[in-house]
Amino acid sequence: MARNAGWRLSQLVLRYGLLIVLAVLVTSFALACPGFSTGTNLDSMLRAASIAAIMYGGATWAIASGEIDVSFMQVAAVANMLVAATVPYGWALAVSLGVLAGIGIGLLNGLIVGLLRLPSLIVTIATGGIALSIATSIGRGSSVSIANAGFIGEFLSVNVVGIPAVASLAAVIYGIAWYLQERLLFGHYLYATAQNRRAVMEAGIPVSKIIVILFAISGVTSATAGILLAADLASGQPRIGESYFLDGLTAIFLGALVIRPFEPNALGTLVGVLLLATLTSGTALLGWTDWQQQMLKGFLLLVSLVVVFGARHATVEDGEAKGVQAARKRTAAES
Amino acid sequence: MMPVRLLGFVLLLGAIVAFFGALSPHFAATANVSAILRHMSAIELAALGLTFVVVVRRSDLSFPGIASLGAMTAGWFVAQEQGLPLALLAGISIGIACGAISGAAVGFMRLPDIVSTIAIGAISASLSFLYSQGATISDNFVSVGLVDFNNRSIGLVGVPVLLMLAINLAAWMFLHCTRFGRGFYATGENPRSALLSGIRTRAYVLGAFAASGGMSCLAGILRSAEAGQAHVHIGSSFLLPAYASVYLGAALFGRASVAATFASCLLISATLNGCNLLSVPYYYGEGIIGLLVLLTVIAFDPRTGGLLDTAIRHSGNKTEA
Repeated sequence: MARNAGWRLSQLVLRYGLLIVLAVLVTSFALACPGFSTGTNLDSMLRAASIAAIMYGGATWAIASGEIDVSFMQVAAVANMLVAATVPYGWALAVSLGVLAGIGIGLLNGLIVGLLRLPSLIVTIATGGIALSIATSIGRGSSVSIANAGFIGEFLSVNVVGIPAVASLAAVIYGIAWYLQERLLFGHYLYATAQNRRAVMEAGIPVSKIIVILFAISGVTSATAGILLAADLASGQPRIGESYFLDGLTAIFLGALVIRPFEPNALGTLVGVLLLATLTSGTALLGWTDWQQQMLKGFLLLVSLVVVFGARHATVEDGEAKGVQAARKRTAAES
Repeated sequence: MMPVRLLGFVLLLGAIVAFFGALSPHFAATANVSAILRHMSAIELAALGLTFVVVVRRSDLSFPGIASLGAMTAGWFVAQEQGLPLALLAGISIGIACGAISGAAVGFMRLPDIVSTIAIGAISASLSFLYSQGATISDNFVSVGLVDFNNRSIGLVGVPVLLMLAINLAAWMFLHCTRFGRGFYATGENPRSALLSGIRTRAYVLGAFAASGGMSCLAGILRSAEAGQAHVHIGSSFLLPAYASVYLGAALFGRASVAATFASCLLISATLNGCNLLSVPYYYGEGIIGLLVLLTVIAFDPRTGGLLDTAIRHSGNKTEA
């Protein structure tokens, strides 16, 4: 009984440990830097984190299904540049073109990975390269400035009950994602596909279709973030993707530490994004340079992987060892 | 099967040469061909290292960051007037060490390859800032002879090209003519069978990543010699072309190998050079490589039942009958 309680405690720590880390970080930064807990800093932190969270939402599921998407940040760059270039014809058109571009590249990824069964890493590296070229060619190699930020700009500047509207949007998106993932069959299929794609297919579930949809969703969420960034920066930046690559994967895999241990999941990514935003803002206030932050993020990602996969291998090996022991006992009893 | 695939490659190369040769008279000139080879040598070496990792069926995303670290390390040694041999040795050793860490994480600790190598690549890239706080290093590059090392030619062939050919030959003999080479393929085909057959699969995975790290640093150093300066983002341009070379080669020739990587890197470099001569803007480069690898992999990869594979199966049936 006592052992059972200890096991439960360790499970609890494993499941919510990152939330505790987040709380500790926020408290210590608030105490260490006077600029951290001011309204303006928290506000800008929340805005940046919300846009980032929207960008990584789709990629979280693509990775949860056992594939990988490394083109998400370049899809955001394409949408970002496309919006900047077409804003003179009206924001409504620009936004719909941006979203269409996201769906287009996402579908391309999904069709090649889902139907042709090619490895997602090389496919998304290639489509990411193509997307980067498209993004850069729109501005012929330079950035495009936006004269008026339109209704997206208004949306970004609005606060509802003290919270940025864009944060509410991110919260709604992640709420829906959580419902789809935890309360509908879709979530079961998603995580079953990661375990054994063939078995899921044999069970009569349209795996290829699910993968196509997952990559399309990834395209849409990335493009949405790219559109928001265009209004936020009042310009289209073709190389905007670079900084989101490491952050995105770090957030997603840090997120795999919480709520649904060992599996990338929507709410986990949200926690990961908040953690990174806290670290970025806090360390910047402490005077850290970009590369010091990058090193910290790299180590954070590595440590979280060691914890997640160390724990997973330990459980699997325990199970295997017990199985072997039981088999030995059986053969001994039989002889 | 192999002759058909070789024919496919020759036809593809022929088509590229004919296309660009027709549009630009300079394309097939000796000077341009030697420029293509000289420029391709750095990428080819990075791709060659990656080939080992792909042969053991893993992915390495750390080599661009490691290449930056290696180039900056060598650059720092050159700036300190430590002499070329020591600079090369230091740059390549640090690459092998970082690659070995990636390999240990993937092979021994069994961490997922893609994410853990992204983390190690990010750490390596951030370490490259330590030498100069991120500023470019170009002191003594000419006086120590690093620039001359890249520019010198023996006969018609440049030193980097000779280096590339020599390393490729050595890698080919190692991977395809020794039992260690078979060990890499066995580890990739079926790690459990390989392990039970007495192959130390974890050591092979570690070795593959160490090779990738070391080669990418050599590539980074060659690039910095070409540019006359080392900078902290020098490796980030390697990712797409190196992956494209290995996977294009694997699709064209049926599996990843030294010759396949070399051949497809030649294809990619010739295409980029041709586009350059036709004054296609530089920013289409990534898109052209991406499109080339995507189309080739879709058309030729055995997994997709690609066009070439169907053709081979048909000819195979005929010979059987």
